[in-house]
Amino acid sequence: MAKVLEGPGMGLMKKWGISVPNYVIVSSAEQFEQLAKAHDWIRKGKLVAKAHEALGSRFKLGLVKVGLDAAGAKAAVRGMLGRQVGSITVSQVIVSEMVPHKEEYYVAVKSTREGAEILAANCGGIEVESNWDRVKKLRVEVGETPSSDALEKLAKEAGFTKELARKIAGFAGKLFACFDNEDAQYLEVNPVVARESDGELVALDAVTLLDADAKFRHSDWDFLFAAEFGRAYTKNELEVMGVDSKIKGSVKFIEIPGGDTAMLPAGGGASVYYSDAVVARGGKLANYAEYSGDPPDWAVEVLTEKVCSLPGIKNIIVGGAIANFTDVKKTFGGIIAGFRKAKAEGKLNGVKIWVRRGGPREKEGLDAMRALREEGFDIHVYDRHTPLTDIADMALQKK
Amino acid sequence: MSILANKDTRVVIQGGAAGLNAARRMAEFCYMIKQPLNVDAFVYPPDSGKTNEVPYGSGLLTIPVYKSVAEATAKHPQVNTSLVYIGADRACTAGMEALNDHQIQLVSMITEGVPEKDAKLLARHATKLGKVFNGPSSIGIISAGACRLGVIGGAFDNLVACKLYREGSFGVITKSGGLSNEIIWICSQFADGITTAIGIGGDAYPGTDYVSYLEKFEQDPQTKAVVIVGEMGGDLEERAAEWCGAKKRRIKLLAVVSGFCQESLPKGMKFGHAGAKEGMKGEGSARSKSEALKKAGAIVPDTFGALGPAIKQVYEDLVKSGQVRPIPELSPADLPKLPKPVEEGLKTGEVMVVPIIKTTISDDRGDEPLYDGYPASELINKGYEIPHVIGLLWDKRLISKQEAEIIKRIMMLSADHGPCVSGALTTIIAACAGIGMSQAVAAGLIMIGPRFGGAVTDAGRYFKHAVDNKMSVDDFLAYMKKNVGPVPGIGHRVKSVRNPDKRVKELVSYVKSLGIPTPHLDFALAVEKVTSAKKDNLILNVDGTMAAVLVDIGFPVDSLNGFFILSRTIGLIGHWVDQKRQDSRLIRLFDYLVNYAAPKRREVPPLK
Repeated sequence: MAKVLEGPGMGLMKKWGISVPNYVIVSSAEQFEQLAKAHDWIRKGKLVAKAHEALGSRFKLGLVKVGLDAAGAKAAVRGMLGRQVGSITVSQVIVSEMVPHKEEYYVAVKSTREGAEILAANCGGIEVESNWDRVKKLRVEVGETPSSDALEKLAKEAGFTKELARKIAGFAGKLFACFDNEDAQYLEVNPVVARESDGELVALDAVTLLDADAKFRHSDWDFLFAAEFGRAYTKNELEVMGVDSKIKGSVKFIEIPGGDTAMLPAGGGASVYYSDAVVARGGKLANYAEYSGDPPDWAVEVLTEKVCSLPGIKNIIVGGAIANFTDVKKTFGGIIAGFRKAKAEGKLNGVKIWVRRGGPREKEGLDAMRALREEGFDIHVYDRHTPLTDIADMALQKK
Repeated sequence: MSILANKDTRVVIQGGAAGLNAARRMAEFCYMIKQPLNVDAFVYPPDSGKTNEVPYGSGLLTIPVYKSVAEATAKHPQVNTSLVYIGADRACTAGMEALNDHQIQLVSMITEGVPEKDAKLLARHATKLGKVFNGPSSIGIISAGACRLGVIGGAFDNLVACKLYREGSFGVITKSGGLSNEIIWICSQFADGITTAIGIGGDAYPGTDYVSYLEKFEQDPQTKAVVIVGEMGGDLEERAAEWCGAKKRRIKLLAVVSGFCQESLPKGMKFGHAGAKEGMKGEGSARSKSEALKKAGAIVPDTFGALGPAIKQVYEDLVKSGQVRPIPELSPADLPKLPKPVEEGLKTGEVMVVPIIKTTISDDRGDEPLYDGYPASELINKGYEIPHVIGLLWDKRLISKQEAEIIKRIMMLSADHGPCVSGALTTIIAACAGIGMSQAVAAGLIMIGPRFGGAVTDAGRYFKHAVDNKMSVDDFLAYMKKNVGPVPGIGHRVKSVRNPDKRVKELVSYVKSLGIPTPHLDFALAVEKVTSAKKDNLILNVDGTMAAVLVDIGFPVDSLNGFFILSRTIGLIGHWVDQKRQDSRLIRLFDYLVNYAAPKRREVPPLK
């Protein structure tokens, strides 16, 4: 799942015929001033300014300002840019026109196993959260397109009548077209409003999640995906992502500050069981990591270096199930090289290393790990006869 | 019995290198269970019309590659299953092609990173046709003792360790490939092993979910219990729980779900599997899945580690109730074995091979070449030079500094002799005809023979014969006249006593200045004295001088031409590069340079 910020999200909706307010995305107050000269709506209407970053609770953080004139908006842009929230620095502000309206509605499209669900409610904004029973659903099977009758029926079920029901049906149809054609996984417009001037339905806010795996068929996706957990990626995370994009197989790395148990497990499935085992034994994870699909040894070495650089770690869990085709000797070769490098740099003092693994060339790989003891590593090596997550128990001294 | 994959499963593999690798793994399994290879064909348009080689036991099978699934199934009417190893951008088309083939009933897709929409479309299409679509991101399907689809089960040793040569009583369904193998191993150690294990893939919307497979296992009398390995995200585990609790089921259900750590991790964090993510509103958490499964009557151990003992408990209950009869273990001697590649057998001392080549000079099996046992880098670092390498490779000895200096001078003196001599001229003609360096230089080298540069070995041979047999110059000349002809190494086309060859003078005076014993050179000079007195140009030429000196410093007769060949190669390469640099044009001789002595034009008589 890949999150897309409001600006590009709005852009995709506009592409599929949905009305969105006029907006500009700026990275300096001067740029905003130039744009104000070019656009009437900036000089004449009321404006909203929002920090254009993957941040929750922007309102509370003072990163949303409403009812501004051009000068006020410029001041807001200046005030927001450069603000530091956690690891994210505000580098863009989206300024859009305020759309005068009386009522707010809710329309969304969500991916389901069978296809998608179109959701609609005749309330919007924060009201919809507390009135979830008012949200009505229409299921659409993959490969199908909802008929206008079905959409209108949904609108009517959600409490819309007459002309408005037809308009909501039309809006939902466009949102679905956007969802279906853009390989979206979730699209939410909250609120949808009827513009006072002409009654046209306008999307005031957009949540857009796209299927990153489908990027190959969307050459116009020229935007970056936003980090999904409310912070920017760290330098080390980006470095591992860079390696990941270049290799056969994969390496993954996410830092979790404050943890003391570092993870260096193999396999997308087993890695989560190892994390569970650590948490269940009261350990604090210092990271999530994973290598799989028989990656080259140098990629595993890079990952190992990053894991060894995590501050304050006491244990490293080099776990893994019995591999199908990942060469244990080769991938362990990468890990061993990473360990040696870290040790030479004075890292790994007092850090215990726990290994459990099986798979092609397991004996050679495990023997090589065992031999690290002679180089002064505090390493404990187990084979397939030790259950998968026992090393986590041993590391945290519960067994 | 088993589900999905059995002894009648015949496979077409859609894909290139990854598909071939899977076929090789599948052949190992087929060999283990003494069945013919279950892969009949490959489909890979870039290689269509070619064949792939798949080792089977100690032999090699040749499997055809086709352009389309339709072509493959037409040629192989028993094929009923397709494995898709095609890249994510073309996987959907490939999967549809397989599903639409009337022979294919099961399509399993290994491809990772397939767009969700494509996976859903494939699943829907399969359902409509009443076929099974497994995956994407599936490690494969394996039925013990019957059929392997994909690389699931790992290396051959692991297949044997997990007793996959015969069926047990446990079904396995996992999202993770690595964990499928782990559970197969656990089932073989804590119970009697598996019937069928299925990797459904870790994507958000696998083509076939747990429930469809649980239903199939329920209908398979051999399967007594099923282990599912789930993870947070989606609702597949909840659906499995619903199935389990809906009515009394024959099979026991055991389950573990991963992702409890999510509670203490940053929200929205992405794990290795695309499907492993909590829903917007906390649905699909590991905890809610575990609870749902427990409530439905499934056995849900608290940790993955507790799964083994739980499986053991279920197995023991099955044995106690008489539903399962323990299978006697094979003795180690009876376990299936895969023929080893010769290399491995050599390592373990199980086979002996008579080599067809023997070398006594060099070895590059280590991290650098060894010349007669000495590492090249060590020779460099200790100040040795090219003549020493020649000494090691041509005569298997470390020559002295003085000997090296002599060789160096010989090489420098004969590196080139202008463009007119046979070798250089040939190379130049070839270069001007646009011929590449190695061929053009080789053409020049071909000229080296009895009349040009190739007399060194023969000169050395006869001077040595004379010295060894203590012949006088007269005896020697008489011997040569009777048995050989002109003395090799004596005589020059243009040089003479009055116009001596400076190279010869240079070499002779240097070697003489060293004060080392030079019996062959001395003999050669004595011969020259006699021959040049008879005829002015019968002087000791550069070939003869080199030969005598080299025999004096101990080089074997057979190596002697090598000094001229090696040294002249420097010049020939120079001529080739020189012509290249000038971008020279094709050479054609002028008519006036040819004496046309052939018959004049005449009429061709009628053919008889």
